[in-house]
Amino acid sequence: MTGPRDLNAQIESLVNRLRRRQVVGSWCVSIETAMLLRQVVSATRWNQVETLIKVVKEDVGRRLVMAQPRELAVGNIVCRVLRLIREVYNSEDATFDDNSAEDNDKDSNTDDDEKDEEIKSKSSQKIRTFSFYGGSGTGTNTQSSMINLLGDGSPMGAKRASVDDYRKPPNLKPLIISELQEMINELENTYVNIIDQAMEHIHSNEIIMTVGKSRTVEMFLKTAAKKRKFSVLVAETFPTYLGHEMALSLSEAGIDTTVISDSAIFAVMSRVNKVIMGTHAVLANGGLISVSGAQMVATAAKHHSKPVVVCTGLYKLSPLYPYDEDSFNDLVAPDPVFSFNEGDLIDKVTLLNPYYDYVSPELVSLFITNTGGHPPSYLYRLINENYDPDDTDI
Amino acid sequence: MPPPSKTSGKNLEAESILQAVVLADSFNERFRPITLDTPRCLLPLCNTPLIEYTLELLAVAGVQAVYLFCREHSETIKNYIKKSKWSRSYSPIKIITIVTPEARSVGDALRELDAKQLIDSDFILISGDVVSNIQLEKVLDAHRSLGESPIFVLDTKTNECVHCESVELYPRKRRMTMDMEVFKKHADVQIRNDLIDCQIDICSVEVPALFTENFDYQDIRNDFVHGILTSDLLGKTIYCHLVKDVYAARVRNLHTYNAISKDVLSRWTYPIVPDSNLQEGDSYEFMRGHIYKEKDVSLSRLIYVSIFEGLIIYVNNTYFFIISIRSCSLGEKVLIGAGTEIAENVKITNSVIGRRVTIGPNVEIDGAYIWDDVKIKSNCFIFRSILANNVVLEENVIVKRGCLLSYDVVIGPNVTLEPYTKLTKHKKTSESDNEGEESNENKAYDSTLIGEHGQGYIWSDKVSDTDDDEFDTKNIQIAGLAHDISNISLTDSDSPPSVIYESSSDELSDSGESTTEEESLKEFFKEVSQTLERAFLDGHAVEIASLELNTLRMASNTTFHDLRVGVIPTILGQIDIENLLTSAEEILEQWGPLIGKLIHSRQDQIDTLYILQDHCAITQHHAKLFAPTLKKLYLLDVLDEDAILEWNSSELADNDSSKSSIRKKVAPFVKWLEEAEVEDSDSDD
Repeated sequence: MTGPRDLNAQIESLVNRLRRRQVVGSWCVSIETAMLLRQVVSATRWNQVETLIKVVKEDVGRRLVMAQPRELAVGNIVCRVLRLIREVYNSEDATFDDNSAEDNDKDSNTDDDEKDEEIKSKSSQKIRTFSFYGGSGTGTNTQSSMINLLGDGSPMGAKRASVDDYRKPPNLKPLIISELQEMINELENTYVNIIDQAMEHIHSNEIIMTVGKSRTVEMFLKTAAKKRKFSVLVAETFPTYLGHEMALSLSEAGIDTTVISDSAIFAVMSRVNKVIMGTHAVLANGGLISVSGAQMVATAAKHHSKPVVVCTGLYKLSPLYPYDEDSFNDLVAPDPVFSFNEGDLIDKVTLLNPYYDYVSPELVSLFITNTGGHPPSYLYRLINENYDPDDTDI
Repeated sequence: MPPPSKTSGKNLEAESILQAVVLADSFNERFRPITLDTPRCLLPLCNTPLIEYTLELLAVAGVQAVYLFCREHSETIKNYIKKSKWSRSYSPIKIITIVTPEARSVGDALRELDAKQLIDSDFILISGDVVSNIQLEKVLDAHRSLGESPIFVLDTKTNECVHCESVELYPRKRRMTMDMEVFKKHADVQIRNDLIDCQIDICSVEVPALFTENFDYQDIRNDFVHGILTSDLLGKTIYCHLVKDVYAARVRNLHTYNAISKDVLSRWTYPIVPDSNLQEGDSYEFMRGHIYKEKDVSLSRLIYVSIFEGLIIYVNNTYFFIISIRSCSLGEKVLIGAGTEIAENVKITNSVIGRRVTIGPNVEIDGAYIWDDVKIKSNCFIFRSILANNVVLEENVIVKRGCLLSYDVVIGPNVTLEPYTKLTKHKKTSESDNEGEESNENKAYDSTLIGEHGQGYIWSDKVSDTDDDEFDTKNIQIAGLAHDISNISLTDSDSPPSVIYESSSDELSDSGESTTEEESLKEFFKEVSQTLERAFLDGHAVEIASLELNTLRMASNTTFHDLRVGVIPTILGQIDIENLLTSAEEILEQWGPLIGKLIHSRQDQIDTLYILQDHCAITQHHAKLFAPTLKKLYLLDVLDEDAILEWNSSELADNDSSKSSIRKKVAPFVKWLEEAEVEDSDSDD
C-alpha cells in the first residue's frame, strides 16, 4: 500500500466493523465501501492503471471481502468500482490509441460517432484538460460500453487487447473520482428509484404478503399506500421476529396490516394476490439470499401460482453463482431457537440457526430494481453491464 | 446472565477516553503444567489465543487504551502483542504492557495500578481469558447514568448488589446468613444463583485507591466486593448489570476450556466464531455440520462422514467386492487449522486440530484439543485430552480421557495412558528448567509408562501450597477436562462463582467446624495475643494494630467474631487489678478504640458484650473488670446504649450464677442508661 497512514486506519476500521457486524445491512455496507474506495482512489499514488486496479482489488477489496464474506454487497461494490476504473481507462486508452494511430498510419479505428458524442459529454472535456497528451477524449457511459460489449470487432474489442500493456500514465484520477461520486449518488437514490415504481405494481384492494423487515419493501408499500388502499399480511418471521417490527411500522403508516404466524403462511396464501419481499443479496442465477423463512413463503406462492416480486437495489446483485448455497448462509447464535439454560440437552443436540434462506430463481417472478423491473432470466445481462468478468473472483 | 459489578463513582467526563485493565495472569496454577511454558492468556482456544477474544470484546466496546498486567512470561506476552495487529500504528487500541513480577493477586495488580497513577477515569477491569459477545457499551451507558443519580442506591430495582457469596461445588453450602436490615432497606430483594459471573468489572477511579488502602485484599470477588458490602464505612456501592441472551464465560480451568471451546464451535458466541477470523491470516470457513476448515488442509479423499461398507463395484463383467472403503471422516464440531494433513481412515469428532498437524492412518480422535505441530502416527486413539504444541505420538498410543500432554512430550510406541495423566518435559523438582540437567536425565524417563521413545515426566498437582486455591481435590477433578458433564448442565457447571444476592453485616459463619479448625483457631488466638502484646510493648497506634489483626484474620481465614474473642481478653489482661479503676481507664482509653475497629454493627456490639461477659465470668477476679470496662467502652462510643440494653434484656441460663452476678454488677449502670433513654424520648416528645 502506498497510501498514507490514516487511509490504512480507515480501511482497518471498516474491516473491523464489517467483521464485528457493527455495520450491517446491504445498503449501509455498500455506501461505506464505496466511500472508502473513493478515498483509496484519491489517496493512492499511482502512475499506471494497473497499479490502481491492483490496489483496489487485491490490497483493499480482498481485505474487505474477506472481512465479511457473507456481506455480498461489499464484493459487488468493489467489482463495480473496478469496472468503472477499467471503463474510464479503456475509453482514455482508445483515445490515446486513436491519436497515435492517427500519427502513425491513420488507422480506421477512429470513430466519428464517438468523437461527436465526446464533444457533448462534459467529462470528456475534463479529460482533455488533464490529459498529458492533449488530443481528444471519449465519453464513457454504461450504454456505450454495453453496445461495445455486444458488438463484435467494435473499438471496445480492440481496446481490450491493449489493456495488457497499461503503460501510459494519463491523469485519470479526477475522472475516476467523479465517476465514483456518480455511483455513490446512484446508491443514495436507489430507494427513490425503486419506490417510484410502486404504483405500477400495487393495485387497489389487493392483499399483499411480505416476510421479514426490508427497508425497500417498507418504503415501497408506504408509497403505494399514499394513493391506494390495500392490505398487507406480514409473516412474523421466527426467530428474529422482524415481521413484528415491519407490521408495526406499516400500521403506523395507516396500512391495513395483519401479522400471521409462520405456520399460517401456506394456509392464507390462496387469498393473497402477490408476495412482495426484500432480499439480502441476489445471486448471478437470479436466486436470492433472503431472511430465513423466505423460501417457505416463495414455495407456498409457487404452489398457489402467486407472483413473487422482489424489491432490490442493483447493488445487491452479486456476480457469484451459488454452487454451494450453504456457503452464503450465516449461522448465528442458536439462543433464540433454544435457550442456553436448557442445560443438558444442548450437549446432545445440534442446534442450527441459519440467518438466511436460499430462494431458487424459479420461485421468483420479478425483480424491481432501481433500473426498472426485470425477470430473473435477465439478470445475466445486468451482471455483464455492471461487472467485469476478470473481477468476479476477488 | 453475567453480572459485571461496578462501584458508583464520579461522573465520567464526557470526552475522556475509555480505558481497560486486562489481567493477563490468572494468579493460579490450574493449567499447569502447560502454563510452565506459555502464559494462560496465550493458550489457544479454537486455535486463537485467549487474549484475542478479550481484546476483541474491548475493541467492540470502543476501548481506546488497554493496560495489560503480566506477571509470568511477561516477555512472551510482550512479544506477542508487539507482533499482533493491535500494536500497528493505526490500530484503534493502544496496548500498554505493565510487568509486575511481584504481584501475587488481583489486589496487588490494582495497587500497582494506583501507584503508577495511570487511570484517570472509570475503567473496565477484565481478566485476560474472557470469551464473550456481550455488548459492553450498553453496560457502560448504564454505569454512567447511575453515576449521576446516586439516590437510587437503596432501591433494589437499580440492581444494587447487596451481598455476594461464592459457592464452590464441594463442600456444598447449605446455609447462608442474611441480615434482617437488608429487608428493611430494600423493598425487593432478589436472591439468585442462576447467574454466571463473567468477571467483567467496570470500576470507578477510586477502586485502585481502595485496594491500596486495604492492602490485604487479594481477590476482587471474595475480598473486595465482600469488603465493600460488609463495611458501611466506605460508603461505596456495587451494582450488578444483568445481561440476558448473550454469551460470556471465563476460561478458568480445563473443564471450562472444554465447555467454552464447544460453545464457540456451536456458535453460541456469534459473532465471535472461528469463521469470522479474529486473527489476521486466519482463513476459516464454516461447513455443514459445524466443521470449520482453514485453507490448505489436506484430507484424504472424502471429507464428510462417509463410510461405505460392503460396496459392490461392477467393472468389466467382474464383481469386486470391497469390504469397506473408508476415508477420513469428520463428525460434528471439528475445527482444523491450516497445513494439517489427515491420512486415510481417520475419524475425528468434537475436536480442535491446530495448524501443521500430521495425523496418520487409522487414528481416532474424539473430544481432543490438539495444538499446533503435533505429530500423531498410525493407530492412535485420543479421547478428551489436550495435546500441546509439538507433541509426538508414536504408533499404537491410546490416550484416555482427561490427559494433558504439555509441550514437546513424546509418547510411544505401544503405550496406553491412564485417565487424567499429566505429562511435561519439565522435571517437577526443578522449577527453572535446566537444559544440561535435562539432557543428563534423559534416561530417567519412565519408559514403561510412556514408551521406548517417550520423553516427558509425570506431573502431579500440588493441591495445598497455592494460597488462592480453595478448591479441594474433588473440585480439581471437576475442573478436569473430561469430567463427565452429562449430569451437570453447562450453566451450572460453569457457575462455581454464582453470585447470590444477599446481605449480612456479620461475617459468614461456616456451618461445620471440624477439630482441625478448632486447632487452627487456638493457633490463631495465640497469634492474636502475641500481636497485641507486641503492640502494647512498642506502643503502636491503634490503626496499625487493627491492620495487623485484620491481616492475621484474613490469613487464617477466621471471622471478626473470632478476632474479638482473641482481642478482648488480651486487652483486659493488661489491666492492673490492684489499681483497677485508673488502670482500666488508661488501658481502655488507649486500646478501647481497637475493639471499636472490630465492630461493625449492632449485632457485633452485642456479640462483644457476650464475649466480655463470658470472659469476666471465668473467675471472681475477672468479674471485677466488667463494670469499669463496660462503662469505659460506652463512653468511648464503642458500645451504644441500645446494644447494652438489648444484651441486658436477653435471657440467661438459670444456673449461671457467675454471669448473673456480673449482670448485677452493672445493674446500676444499665438502670442509669434506661433512665437516660426515657428522658431522651421524653424530651423528644
